[in-house]
Amino acid sequence: MDTSFAQRRRRDLIVAGCLAAIAALVPLFVKDVYVQNIMVLTLMYAALSQSWNILSGYCGQISLGHALYFGLGAYTTALLFTKFGVLPWFGMIGGGLISAVIAMALGYPCFRLRGHYFVIATIVIAETALLLFQNWDWAGAALGIDIPVRGDSWLKFQFTRSKLPYFYFALGLACVAWLVTWWLEDSKWGYWWRAVKDNPDAAESLGVVVFNSKMGAAAVSAFLTAVGGSFYAQFVSYIDPESVMGFQFSLLMALPAVLGGIGTLWGPVLGAVILIPLTELTRSFIGGSGRGVDLIVYGTLIVLISLARPQGLVGLFSGRRKEAVR
Amino acid sequence: MTISRRNVLLGATASAALLPMAARAQTSDVVIGVIYPLSGASAQIGVDAQKSFETAAEIINKKYDFDLPLARGEGLPGLGGAKVRLVFADHQADPQKGRAEAERLITQEKVCAIIGTYQSAVAVTVSQICERYQIPFMSADNSSPSLHRRGLKFYFRPAPHDEMFSAAMFDFFDAMKKKGTKIETLALFHEDTIFGTDSGNAQLKLANERGYKVVADIKYRANSPSLSAEVQQIKAASADVLMPSSYTTDGILLVKTMAELGYKPNAIVAQDAGFSEKALYDAVGDKLEAVISRGSFSLDLAAKRPMVGTINAMFKEKSGKDLNDFSSRQFMALIVMSEAINRAKSVDGDKIREALVATDIPGAQTIMPWKRVKFDDMGQNNDADPVLLQYVGGKFVTIFPPQAAVAEAVWPMK
Amino acid sequence: MTAETIIQSLASGLLMGLLYGLIAVGLALIFGLMDVVNFAHGEFLMIAMYATFFLFAFFAIDPLLAAPLVAAALFVFGAVVYLLVVRFAVRAKANAGMVQIFSTFGLAIVMRGLAQFFFTPDYRSVTHSWLGGKTISIGGIFLPVPQLFGALVSIAAFGALYFFINRTDFGRALEATREDAGAVALVGIDKNRVFALGWGLGAALVGLAGAIMAMFFYIYPDVGASFALVAYVTVALGGFGSVFGAFAGGIIVGLVEATTALMLPPSLKSVGIYAVYLLVVFVRPRGLFGSI
Repeated sequence: MDTSFAQRRRRDLIVAGCLAAIAALVPLFVKDVYVQNIMVLTLMYAALSQSWNILSGYCGQISLGHALYFGLGAYTTALLFTKFGVLPWFGMIGGGLISAVIAMALGYPCFRLRGHYFVIATIVIAETALLLFQNWDWAGAALGIDIPVRGDSWLKFQFTRSKLPYFYFALGLACVAWLVTWWLEDSKWGYWWRAVKDNPDAAESLGVVVFNSKMGAAAVSAFLTAVGGSFYAQFVSYIDPESVMGFQFSLLMALPAVLGGIGTLWGPVLGAVILIPLTELTRSFIGGSGRGVDLIVYGTLIVLISLARPQGLVGLFSGRRKEAVR
Repeated sequence: MTISRRNVLLGATASAALLPMAARAQTSDVVIGVIYPLSGASAQIGVDAQKSFETAAEIINKKYDFDLPLARGEGLPGLGGAKVRLVFADHQADPQKGRAEAERLITQEKVCAIIGTYQSAVAVTVSQICERYQIPFMSADNSSPSLHRRGLKFYFRPAPHDEMFSAAMFDFFDAMKKKGTKIETLALFHEDTIFGTDSGNAQLKLANERGYKVVADIKYRANSPSLSAEVQQIKAASADVLMPSSYTTDGILLVKTMAELGYKPNAIVAQDAGFSEKALYDAVGDKLEAVISRGSFSLDLAAKRPMVGTINAMFKEKSGKDLNDFSSRQFMALIVMSEAINRAKSVDGDKIREALVATDIPGAQTIMPWKRVKFDDMGQNNDADPVLLQYVGGKFVTIFPPQAAVAEAVWPMK
Repeated sequence: MTAETIIQSLASGLLMGLLYGLIAVGLALIFGLMDVVNFAHGEFLMIAMYATFFLFAFFAIDPLLAAPLVAAALFVFGAVVYLLVVRFAVRAKANAGMVQIFSTFGLAIVMRGLAQFFFTPDYRSVTHSWLGGKTISIGGIFLPVPQLFGALVSIAAFGALYFFINRTDFGRALEATREDAGAVALVGIDKNRVFALGWGLGAALVGLAGAIMAMFFYIYPDVGASFALVAYVTVALGGFGSVFGAFAGGIIVGLVEATTALMLPPSLKSVGIYAVYLLVVFVRPRGLFGSI
């Protein structure tokens, strides 16, 4: 197994490098801002879903409350910038660290919970944060935070019309999230998680180390998700609690990984590439009817894909991945 | 955009390369983008808005004998009779989606102006995008006062905002007090969204300035499964006036819960929203005799201006509803925008903006009780006088200000 | 704050809690006893409310009489949903939990879209019914009749379900099927038949809840969303696998919500529910009375 595993990893890295290089060239040919906007969102969701996949896919702790970390990242950056003039780059790191710490503080009691109890705990924690932000006057409460845009600047990471800087940042974030996952797959943590999944009894004997590795996964996952949130705040230049901490958002982050293949290296990327353009196009081109047809199309596809390919769409591309899917 | 199998197939399978084809249309039209929630929790508003905008477009594009800008000719004479064509987009109440749709309308559909958005949070991002592309944005029915104070050059709002609306309510209270009515204590009841928060803040400020005592200031979660705890607190406060800022869903639940808990308020003066929706009166109208709501529109204007009645009939044929506070503002937004485009004689954003800045439409040439339409340097029309309407015998009558009133206020409620 | 305010709040909270219980009882069966997630539970409620509304609007059938019809219709609907969608989700070999979450989530979106397509997004209400709008007052404490009736139905529904699960062959078959589908197949029990009936039953209970809710609540395509999360928390708080737990969970949720609204700004009242849930599961990871 070792040689083929190592070979596969090397091949994955090469494929990823090629795909990233191709993706980086796409904006040279696609000038339409609407399409570029979809590409930015696709990359952002690929990164978010990849981060989510670390905790929920590899580690098996299904979180439907990742909007919490996303929102914390967005709010930290926006608040630091609008209240104290701190550049978003520092806000990004700050938001990521805050989220990582909170993820560990929450993980400590929550990792004792199993199955649906854990899932519901993640949902209500995120909902609680949403309500607190909705009522927190200093942070803008329901009014949200409008980030003033005064011209193009890399320092302030804001650009009036061009999507390219956002595109390359999102591409970079997606690559980082992918690389972290790639690296984790072959790390000590990765081995423990696989061992626990293959043989739940082994979890008992590995007890403490596994618990610690889960805490680590939560921290890494929350950090990357928060950076995504900071990015979103800069990209949209307006945030409010509903649009960055809503429950829908937690689901949207999980969906690409689930459809693409949960607990796989390529699942989130593949899922995002299919799902996000689909979401955007159905809304833009059939949502204008006001009859809910976009919802019907979108929902049906989710049902069909999740039923037809429970192990995710990556399975279509490689039969050999099955062992990793598990 | 009508739904056809082709659209469905396009949406589901179109690759990015196909998009420009779907978007292409006749070039001689003046294309205006309209962004509303067409699916999700507030889809009803968006669907009604479509009908209202279509009514306005029909009046502009065909000949009608109304004393309304652009009604008498066909299309826009300033642009050689070009027709107004509307492109609708769905923002699903999400600021990010509103922003993406605005960008799509500007870059792909080549719209020369955008009108929207119902939700104030979405107006924030849509107006930002319009500013970036130098395309005028008209806030048809957003009433959050913070919107026009952001230093945007391409932002215009012909209708009143919540501070103007709330000021009218307090003017009314002052006038009633002079007549000897006891109005000392107020209970504020508002949802936890931008609309509710802004409205609650404005009312709290005015109450303090004018010496009214706020005995309950209840902020509640929008679309709650139950409002009994909230109503219990309002009931305990027993104020002279209850002032709700609620959308239809919570409005219905509020009125029902008040009845269930045996609370009959002395008077209700509502911040519009749900309290001007037909659905609310269909549901609980029997409990709302003599409720007062602020508004920017009143059907009894039809007595003075017959065209209001005719236009209402046109809208009703499409939607099955009477024009209300929202649909009337939406209607006027398209008229005001098209009037400016006509004078600009161009679809260039800067030229339209200049024309909008110079807009001066007398109130008589609108379907609203406004003095006139003229924008200040922040893009706000300060001459859009709000009115207070009272629900009496199954319909609304104007009771304030005196120059627009057709009836005396019934006070207290039965 | 007067004693009357507090008593009224607690009384309203108790009624609301029993209603939450009634909404959650079907979920307790599906979610708790078959260990299958149904993220479309709120949409089942929405369909039931619309069914009640249309029976009222077109045939002038009072919600009280409509309730059994709606429950029957939802029984069929629930069984069909199981056979068409959930059966395949349960069968999934990989990621069964996720497949369940997302196939039922997709279903929820489709149901909302269909509701908007066929019923339009207009807000509907059952304007008059035998019980609707009536309220009784005992010593200054007001108890609305529809909610009171809903509370009684809730108690009856829990009682019936408890009896059904513990005292009937079908109940035991259901329990056994969840625990070991392979083994029950050997004794001739068809897993799909048992589960389809279980889903039908769960949906029928939501149907009952919907018919009662329609007497005093507004109806529109997204109405289920307001109740779904409360229903999940209710079932989990009580503990999966325990019918009594869901009943107790509902009452606790209702009372906690009412007391939180007295102490904090009402917009934060759900925070109380969430905090209690977290406290309970941190101390008892299987909920109050849970067995799984």
